[in-house]
Amino acid sequence: MVDAAGTQSLAPSRAASRARVWRFVRRNPTLVIGLVILGLMLLAALAAPWVAGDPYSMKPVQRFLPPSDTFWFGTDNLGRDVYARTIYGARVSLAVGLSVAILAVSVGLAIGVLAGFFRPVEILVMRLMDGLMAIPAILLAIALISLFKGSVGVVIIAIVVPEVPRVARLVRSVVLTTREQPYVEAAIASGTRLRRILLRHILPSTFSPLIVQATYICASAILIEAGLSFLGAGTPPEIPTWGNMIASSRVYLARAPWTVFCPGVALALVVLAVNLVGDGLRDSLDPRIARRM
Amino acid sequence: MATSRRTFVKGTAAAAAAVSAPGLLKAQSAPTKARTVRAVLHGDLKIFDPIWTTANMTGNHGLLVYDTLFGLDDARNVQPQMVDKWGISDDKKTYTFILRDGLKFHDGQAVTSADAVASVRRWAARDGAAQHMFKRVADTPVKDDKTFQIVLKEPYGLVLEALGKIETNLPVIMRKKDAETDPNQQVTTKVGSGPFMFNEEETKSGQRYVYDKFSGYAPRKEPASGMVGGKIAKVDRVIIENMADEQTAVAALKAGEIDFYEIPPIDLLDQLESDKNIKLDILNKGGNVGMCRLNWLHPPFDKVEARQAMLHLIKQEDILKAVFGNPKYYRSCASLFACTGQMQSDVNTEWFKGGQNIAKARELFKKAGYDGRPVVILQATNIAFMNNASLLVAQWLKEAGVNAELAASDWGAVVARRAVKKPVAEGGWNIFITWGSGEGFDNPIGFVAHTANGEAGWFGWPKDDLHEKLRDDWALATTLEERKAVARKLQENAWSYVPMALLGQWAPPVARRTNVSGFIPIPAHVPFWNVEKT
Amino acid sequence: MLAFIVHRLLSTAVVMAIVAVFIFLLLHLSPGDPAAIIVGDNATQLQIDAVRKQLGLDDPLAVQFVRWLAGVFKGDLGVSIFSHQPVGKLIGERIEPTVSLALTTLLLAVIIAVSFGVLAAWKVGTWIDRFVMVLSVLSFSVPVFVVGYLLIYVFSIKLGWLPVQGYSPIAEGFGTWIRHLILPSIALGLAYVALIARITRTAMLDVLSEDYIRTARAKGVAMGPVLMKHALKNAGVPIVTVIGIGIALLIGGVVITETVFNIPGVGRLVVDAISQRDYPIIQGVTLIFSGVYVIVNLMVDISYTLLDPRIRY
Repeated sequence: MVDAAGTQSLAPSRAASRARVWRFVRRNPTLVIGLVILGLMLLAALAAPWVAGDPYSMKPVQRFLPPSDTFWFGTDNLGRDVYARTIYGARVSLAVGLSVAILAVSVGLAIGVLAGFFRPVEILVMRLMDGLMAIPAILLAIALISLFKGSVGVVIIAIVVPEVPRVARLVRSVVLTTREQPYVEAAIASGTRLRRILLRHILPSTFSPLIVQATYICASAILIEAGLSFLGAGTPPEIPTWGNMIASSRVYLARAPWTVFCPGVALALVVLAVNLVGDGLRDSLDPRIARRM
Repeated sequence: MATSRRTFVKGTAAAAAAVSAPGLLKAQSAPTKARTVRAVLHGDLKIFDPIWTTANMTGNHGLLVYDTLFGLDDARNVQPQMVDKWGISDDKKTYTFILRDGLKFHDGQAVTSADAVASVRRWAARDGAAQHMFKRVADTPVKDDKTFQIVLKEPYGLVLEALGKIETNLPVIMRKKDAETDPNQQVTTKVGSGPFMFNEEETKSGQRYVYDKFSGYAPRKEPASGMVGGKIAKVDRVIIENMADEQTAVAALKAGEIDFYEIPPIDLLDQLESDKNIKLDILNKGGNVGMCRLNWLHPPFDKVEARQAMLHLIKQEDILKAVFGNPKYYRSCASLFACTGQMQSDVNTEWFKGGQNIAKARELFKKAGYDGRPVVILQATNIAFMNNASLLVAQWLKEAGVNAELAASDWGAVVARRAVKKPVAEGGWNIFITWGSGEGFDNPIGFVAHTANGEAGWFGWPKDDLHEKLRDDWALATTLEERKAVARKLQENAWSYVPMALLGQWAPPVARRTNVSGFIPIPAHVPFWNVEKT
Repeated sequence: MLAFIVHRLLSTAVVMAIVAVFIFLLLHLSPGDPAAIIVGDNATQLQIDAVRKQLGLDDPLAVQFVRWLAGVFKGDLGVSIFSHQPVGKLIGERIEPTVSLALTTLLLAVIIAVSFGVLAAWKVGTWIDRFVMVLSVLSFSVPVFVVGYLLIYVFSIKLGWLPVQGYSPIAEGFGTWIRHLILPSIALGLAYVALIARITRTAMLDVLSEDYIRTARAKGVAMGPVLMKHALKNAGVPIVTVIGIGIALLIGGVVITETVFNIPGVGRLVVDAISQRDYPIIQGVTLIFSGVYVIVNLMVDISYTLLDPRIRY
């Protein structure tokens, strides 16, 4: 804030920015809560080498120790530190979730828009998408993992491939609806270039459902990874991910619940946070909703 | 060659007709729940030919539907089962067998010696122990409907033991026309002369396999003992269910939806023990022995020092504790022949008595000239023992300065990759983990993992001529004392040249509801005769 | 319209052909040898090789593929390598449980989720909205198998109200059929409540802010019928899309649920077949499913035209 003399006064401006932040928080509580939780998780994941212990070292003699001062989350069936594995698990689980979401949405968006707008693309590509959805994700996962050596990257690809058709279908349905809108028809009639129509009218109408879908995909990818581990086709078991921790400890649910509970709560928190962020983003981006609030 | 759907259906209908034609042989209506035992065993039953495959689930099917010429009683002595009288000639080269009266197949035909001979010859084409014996067999003439002989070129001490083996491939007796199927093809009919009949109609592949009591079975007069004696079916129906999920099976057992569960996870045993309606028994005292197979064809395990290093590297206690938890059900074992049989000894086991010695392992790897190349461990992630043992072995190897790499996959992929003899960089392997039964380990001849004939042998391909010679000596020995002496020599030699490393022995209990009893403890399989439900 | 349907059905054939080739290659190129698995753990290499030969697995891939395809055109999906049962028969036996589970799950999920979504959209911004949304998200953030085990523990073991596992064919009584399906449907359905609820909410919000809705409100028309008649119908397109997607997802989710609750459906059939490398089953099931998906998607597309007359083909 610059006063009449042209100099800046600091105190009022700091108060003003604080007020602005507070207003933002008040108007978008969901977004903020979600971001905070996600932020903490990310911090923990990045700081893992300093904050957590050793997630790999196995000492069977100390298996199934309940949570205590030395082992905050207890130990698992191989004597490994569950707290360390949960923190390190954040890295992989978050990476899987985010990568899958970004990849699936970008590829699916491209395909869906082209298919919704151009007939020949639709005929060819959407049928391919239909076929691709038929291939069971687990078959793809096992095959890819055995072909390319099990690793986080391979699991990501294995989860992305069946998700792309779903995104494409959703985008296409939105594009189909939007295409019929009067303003689009008007734009076409007045000779607007295709690229402009796509960028200005079509794409923005996909953002809202896509954000929702992206958050769902991110959370679902983390869960699918757990499911793949349950069926034996997930990330290699020595790498801690929340998914394979829950899957491999499920037999001990009654006996050592902390082995399932700790990664499970972390997973639920992240999923919740991601969804809150998606919700908040959507609500604040969409002018119609913002108005109603 | 794919059979068309129509011909298959016709075939099944014909087979069903053949079984049901003699009215008295088919159950008139479904037995009540009180006369039915529902059991969940350790896997799914996919193959129905016990002579053709070594899969243990098929062995269970074999004991239900078929019968054997000889068997082991609970004192582990060979006793006749389908055979009534038998004799050996003075020169010990001719064995004569006379079958019992009243033996019938499920389709009503009587069992003749022609059926027996055809089955034995088929078994000899498939089974390792049989092949060892049949190298010395001149002929197997059929003398009359009930009498046949095995004529040897030279005396062989294990004829009856081989015919009575409990391990797969089981020497069951099939109908001559089934036994004459090409040994490389599976027999898909399920007609035997055992105490239960296979119920094709009620069976649903992949879900449940149904067996009805065979009322035409003529049991022996003696009480049931081990694999032999009077095999009296005391329930009307046995249903083997395929339940893949362990927690669900345990829950089903507690709710009474199943009566018997062969492999309750050890960490859940506390839950079961505290349940008044459930009892735990150890049927298979020999249990299983974990093996760490080393690949002799490529470095580093082509050098004896590297293999010796493994003996000092592995701490069996840790692996066993990690997988099985409760020491009641496992033990460390340094003997090459498991620690529950007759061939065990502690000859040449200083490496074991010294305990885990990573420093010594490191030294030995250096002596072997280990150059830091990756050592690939095939890790089957879907099988708990293999999964966890691989993780621990990898950890210890790394502590000993070896560049261990875990190749995670499912068991199917491991089975394919372990057959690859090429170097590691071209898709080969250095280590894979599996197990064998304690009974099997006690038998230097019958057990495929005890061969040391190089590339013609079992995966790992160890080669040692003295070992092979001693195995022959063992087979030709005529008394138990002689066999024990040869076994000691085998072990002394083995732990010097190290064919493989062993990972300890475990004998987990089965879980059954208290109103279902009578399970006879035999190794490797679960017999359902003598089982009753109150 | 008719031309559209015919056209789509024709392209179905193309799609399925592509899928068939892709699956076949994927299977035969990835490691795993059904012959080695059949002969059992203690067999020798010679025995394995003999079985491979006998199964025709050593023939060139193209030959094996054509052999299989020729069979398919005759209506013969081949025979399982392991059980020697025709693949068609195996699938036929196991379709009923999977379809039953999918239907009850979808019904449950749709009823709960659409109600949640409509409620949340109507009361957008209020605590009801937030509460409903958080609830639906929570229901989906626990893996299906954990929910399954917890449900079994509470309702089957502790309370004894429902069976632990298994499936009872509808022919043997509607009551037992439903009883066996309740827990699995809940376990599996919860995961979809969140997805369907939020898409419903989003779509409803979009519609509710349309001019004609505001007009109706301004005119004083009661909100109930307005919601039902106009809003829901026009929000139908994305909702139906997601339901279509949900059917696809179900086949994947069904696999885990069938394993936990021991339901003998097609999902478990494929998983077992995969671990055994039983190629004919995997190929046959995938082929059939690709056909099912295409038809389901066709029906979804047709329903677009019914729901939103502006969409035309």
